[in-house]
Amino acid sequence: MQVLLLMYQDEKRVRNLPKDEAKEVHGAYMAYLGALKEAGVLLANHGLKATTEAKTVRKASVLNGPFAETKEQLAGYFLLEVPDMEAALSWAKRNPSAAQGSVEVRPVWT
Amino acid sequence: MQYLLLIYGNENAMLNAPKEAASQMMGAYTAYTEALQKAGVRVGSNRLRPTSEATTVRTPNGKKNVVNGPFAETKEQLAGYYLIEAPDLDAALSWAARCPGAAYGSIEVRPVWSM
Repeated sequence: MQVLLLMYQDEKRVRNLPKDEAKEVHGAYMAYLGALKEAGVLLANHGLKATTEAKTVRKASVLNGPFAETKEQLAGYFLLEVPDMEAALSWAKRNPSAAQGSVEVRPVWT
Repeated sequence: MQYLLLIYGNENAMLNAPKEAASQMMGAYTAYTEALQKAGVRVGSNRLRPTSEATTVRTPNGKKNVVNGPFAETKEQLAGYYLIEAPDLDAALSWAARCPGAAYGSIEVRPVWSM
């Protein structure tokens, strides 16, 4: 099955991390990415730019900002091919974003 | 530049739509996907299963916390996405406006970090 891991984080806090800590977080993502690739489960992943650059289109109007104001913002995603939900959750727990914010796991329609 | 078009809609309304309306919607999405494909802008897309099947994981301070449901309760839910390659934000916004979901809900357009 395919699942999407949606990473939600407080983007202001993440952007203002001290340099040392930012480097550490970056390293954690690199290690995570390496583990996903080694396990052969990674289909796609992307980081998103800040919601200050988001626009929302609704009917005929275009609004600045994201769809909803939330305490944490969608920061990126990982699309994985896994045998079951249990495997998906164990990858979600290892995602660095789980320690910093939340990781939502959503199965994909196939 | 790559942009993610995030489709937010009322999933209860979608799941309970009459058969005819649902198949019309499906047709509109198929046509939209084909248009993206033909223009050579579609990088990837997926429809998500309902948030009733979502699980959210947090591990603050190493403590595991797994809860059923999406990250946040919202009036509209993330239903799917298109990842597109567009020359600029204007082009991305015009593709977003053509997405069938824009008529029923919201399409959030987010630039992607290039690696």
